[in-house]
Amino acid sequence: MDRRRRLALGIVLSLALLGLCIHYGAAYDDAWPHPTGDQLAAHGSEYDGERVLLFGDVQTVAGNRIAIHVTDDGGDVAADLEVRGVDTAGLEPGGVVQIYGTLEFEETRTHDGTVLADEVVVVNASPRAGAYKYVASGLGGLFAAGFFLRYWRIDIRQLRFVPRGDADSEVSERG
Amino acid sequence: MADLLSHVLIAYALGTVAGWRLEWLSRRWVAVAMVGAVLPDLNRIGLLVSDPTVEAALGTPFAFDAIPTLGGVIVLAGIGATGFETHRTRAYGLLLAGGLSHLLFDATKHYADGEAGTWLFPLSWTRHPTPNLYVSSEPAVLLVALSIAACVWAVDRRWVEEPS
Repeated sequence: MDRRRRLALGIVLSLALLGLCIHYGAAYDDAWPHPTGDQLAAHGSEYDGERVLLFGDVQTVAGNRIAIHVTDDGGDVAADLEVRGVDTAGLEPGGVVQIYGTLEFEETRTHDGTVLADEVVVVNASPRAGAYKYVASGLGGLFAAGFFLRYWRIDIRQLRFVPRGDADSEVSERG
Repeated sequence: MADLLSHVLIAYALGTVAGWRLEWLSRRWVAVAMVGAVLPDLNRIGLLVSDPTVEAALGTPFAFDAIPTLGGVIVLAGIGATGFETHRTRAYGLLLAGGLSHLLFDATKHYADGEAGTWLFPLSWTRHPTPNLYVSSEPAVLLVALSIAACVWAVDRRWVEEPS
């Protein structure tokens, strides 16, 4: 296929990807069986008494209670919740948790509601754990790119990947 | 997701071992599978441009999280494959295989309600039960992936001759 046909195919597929992202964004809130941040912010009381799965940013840790912020799609705070029954060993403010438990969406002086946790998964125990994940992921991207570019060259003008060296004889061991 | 380095290392290991049986699967092509393993994490663009920003620009709902799904990887592998002038089917297959290894590995991670994410989109919104093996910030995940990749690398280097 020449460059123009490959480009056309690339554009068609990019539009398909855009379509997927639009569909996903439109359908997710209804398809996901638990309240999302947007739904909690809009009508949290509808979920009062339900067993929910929530993702939260840890604000404070005290005894077996933590305060979490559930955020909406834009990253703004959708609900400030107190979670009870948490094994808080090692958990710090700035961490990220998944909480599965019963939601009592009743405003108190300090929170929008309470969750009685049945199951807690610590996603990031602290901001450091989150940073570790980003650093490791960044290295992963660099490693894949480096490995790829050792064997392929990117020809921007022709929008193509060109094998380095002799494509038939496989690449030598030198770095 | 597990950290991306683990995913890339696992794609390296799987691709290299498969190459012991498949003559055409040289390091050059293993590299393509490793890039495939990066594809699902392209939703991290969302860290730079948030969904609501794109929604405002497009005037429709939008979520980058469609990328780490079956549909997202099938289409993204296709976009990547358009950069190959020859062996396009092979390139597509390897990008897809790398992406699928990422998704399958992620399908085993820990969810508090015991069900995995909605990665089968757009075939299904079903959340299958997950064995709850790990969370992404555990260094143990990377250690295991590093050990496997190092073993495969050592064996490959010592006992497997690439044609020259």
